[in-house]
Amino acid sequence: MILQLNHLHRKPAASTTQEVVDTLYALLEEGRLEREQFARLRVHLDWIQYRQNFRECVMAIGSTSDPRSECSSLEVHIDMRQVTPGALRDAILRAMPSSDVPAPAQDAVFLEEFRSFRESIAWGFNRLYWHRLAEWEEFTGRGYEQALPGGKSDANHPAAVADCVADFWTLLRDLESHKQLPEEIFVLEIGVGMGRRAGLWMDRFRALDAERGTKYYPRLRFLLGDYSLATLERSRPVMENHLELCSFVVLDALNPLKNLAFLRHKVLHIHLTNVYDNLPDEEFARREGQLYAVQVRAYIPPPDAARISGEFQIPAADIPRTVHRLLEGGPDYLADRKRGLAFWQEVWQAMRLEERLVSLDDLPDVALPTGLHQEQLEEALEGAPSDVRFHMSSGALESFQNTVPLLHPRGFLQVQDIFVTNFNEYRLGFHGPGKLDGSIVNWVNGVLLREVGERAGYDVHFAPFHYRPGSRTSVLYTTQRE
Amino acid sequence: MELPILPTTVVGSYSMPGWLERLKTEYYARRISRRDLDEIHDTAVKAAIKDQEMAGLDIISDGELRRDNMIDYFAERLPGVQIDHATKKFHYDLYDSKVQGKLPIGPLGLVDDFKFLRANTERETKFCITGPHTLSKRIRNEHYPSEQEFAMDLARVMNPELKAIAKAGAHFIQVDEPYFSGFPEDFEWGVKALNLLVDGVEAKVAVHICYGNRYGKPSWEGSYEYLMPGILDAHVQQITLEFARRGGEDLEIFRELPPRFELGIGVIDVKTQAVETPDLVAERIRKALEVIPAERLFVLPDCGLLHLSRDVAFAKLAAMVGGTHLVRKELKH
Repeated sequence: MILQLNHLHRKPAASTTQEVVDTLYALLEEGRLEREQFARLRVHLDWIQYRQNFRECVMAIGSTSDPRSECSSLEVHIDMRQVTPGALRDAILRAMPSSDVPAPAQDAVFLEEFRSFRESIAWGFNRLYWHRLAEWEEFTGRGYEQALPGGKSDANHPAAVADCVADFWTLLRDLESHKQLPEEIFVLEIGVGMGRRAGLWMDRFRALDAERGTKYYPRLRFLLGDYSLATLERSRPVMENHLELCSFVVLDALNPLKNLAFLRHKVLHIHLTNVYDNLPDEEFARREGQLYAVQVRAYIPPPDAARISGEFQIPAADIPRTVHRLLEGGPDYLADRKRGLAFWQEVWQAMRLEERLVSLDDLPDVALPTGLHQEQLEEALEGAPSDVRFHMSSGALESFQNTVPLLHPRGFLQVQDIFVTNFNEYRLGFHGPGKLDGSIVNWVNGVLLREVGERAGYDVHFAPFHYRPGSRTSVLYTTQRE
Repeated sequence: MELPILPTTVVGSYSMPGWLERLKTEYYARRISRRDLDEIHDTAVKAAIKDQEMAGLDIISDGELRRDNMIDYFAERLPGVQIDHATKKFHYDLYDSKVQGKLPIGPLGLVDDFKFLRANTERETKFCITGPHTLSKRIRNEHYPSEQEFAMDLARVMNPELKAIAKAGAHFIQVDEPYFSGFPEDFEWGVKALNLLVDGVEAKVAVHICYGNRYGKPSWEGSYEYLMPGILDAHVQQITLEFARRGGEDLEIFRELPPRFELGIGVIDVKTQAVETPDLVAERIRKALEVIPAERLFVLPDCGLLHLSRDVAFAKLAAMVGGTHLVRKELKH
């Protein structure tokens, strides 16, 4: 058995670990675990950063047979934050698959078949949240920024904005000295939210420009891009003093180039904060040299399914159909909007993801994200631990690939987000996905972003966000390689 | 060899197949031999030649498929240039290369490349090399007092190779100097280095000046205004420029180009996978014909095609030829 222990935050780690081991030995002696199975168990005790997430307290993950062995392996993941003393044995028993009671449970309500996480219904909830944000906020009585750790976004930190403006001004000055400054100076922010950062940025730029007498400000063309017109409308008041220089553009963060192709090679600065961590993603795992895709299946655990069924007068068997209609038509579908919002929130909070590992040999058509080639992935993994589970960050890679062509040859892309910049970091603990209010939050694989960027001719650097002590944010900075 | 009016050609490189990139990497990892790689290159070059012929081009290049990129192929051949082979991860990246002493003269091995091209096509050919200004910007100078002197010496040591290529039968040689656009302040001495490079070379010489194509992206933006009037001092017969991606506004700058110069105009955007239609190509040629007569106009892509997939590169060349045919027909009437 392999026992992997991560930093167990504020928990009596040693005693809990002992309880896990004792429980597993007891199950072996009781014949509930076979010796072969016991020997191949991989138990991971972790502290899950996101209190709201898609996991049960104890989760078992099966895998397709390794062609080199005769027996499938089984992983058991235990969330040390959720586990309560004395309840571990029952939780483990519930999670362990057996011939008569497959995990998670026969009477769980499944919302989909096994698939890659990026294709999971979970992302349908995430989409619905951003499209119906105002309704969600009204219903819950709190804004989405309040759901962020610390209650506010690092995007709006005045010192970070001031530094970005200073860098940008220096770039303009340099271009002007080489007579290469374009007449129109394009700046793009993707995922503007309430527009606070964009407003701060413009205020600061105008002040700096006036202070230095360079007259760049009137040449600015600031594009605010976001998911929906409704979101963009929320940012308009903040930009009131700069409206004549602003354009509000509905765009898909996965492919900004689609709407902005006319700006190819023209944008001098592009900024995103906490966008990549909310784009569709999938995970892979390497076990003893073999690469596996992590597949998921969304479900509602039995007690929650029973409660939701009773509360909303919907037979448990009809919950999946109702959920799909909710995702297609929004909360209005349930006739009474308030009731629809309540159903949405209940299902979202209860929803869990069952997981399994599928050998890539069994997935001949596995599609890597655009721009990432098999040999690049293998190369990136060469320096990685032999046993590691990691994000593919397909959405972030896709977005990056479809954003950098907009950059002017001397322009720069800046992304503030939560990045894993070294595969070894994946060994240090859970990196998502988690639930952030009604949306998904996921760490982003910076190693693969760097790999894809470099192959496409961009230098990609990461720096800690040093403006707020304790911040988990990093800043990705990209320029075209000279 | 008689060329039709509005001759069509490439700037130099053809699509670099993914499999060739992987095999080059295999060579760097010492998993295949130099002999195998040479044979792979020969086969790839023949295929590139065949594709250009099938697309209907009048003047054919070797597709530059033996080259990692436009710098390293020359840096590795120039005696006296030191290369740090550990500095490159992907074949298209640049080595860290430097000079620490005066460059000696020696053969660069480019004549064999030309002979291979000549032996494998019946059509007119063009052979391309990177110019001294561009090389001086990417090879670190730790010996010469100035970049200008370094570039002049690069021209001096490369000149015999150009003469040898011409002697081997090359009628048409192109010197690539994209870094002129990034460093217009160097242009005056850059032209002097170019002239020293082509001094006594008995072939038609073109200079190609674009705004960069590293990793399929422009390296600079600006206007070709800086070329005038300095380019008139260049001892070349043709100037080939990028117009498709940037638009034809700069064409006006060349309205008064003296008759001793031909103009090669880029009508294919090599920085997008979208394939132009023959009609669009024809429109771009017609616009150029407003400022320069057909007898002095050559039709090309904006730059090399190496970053495009093979099917896209081929389709773009076919569209270019198709558009040129449309205009040729109009000129006959």
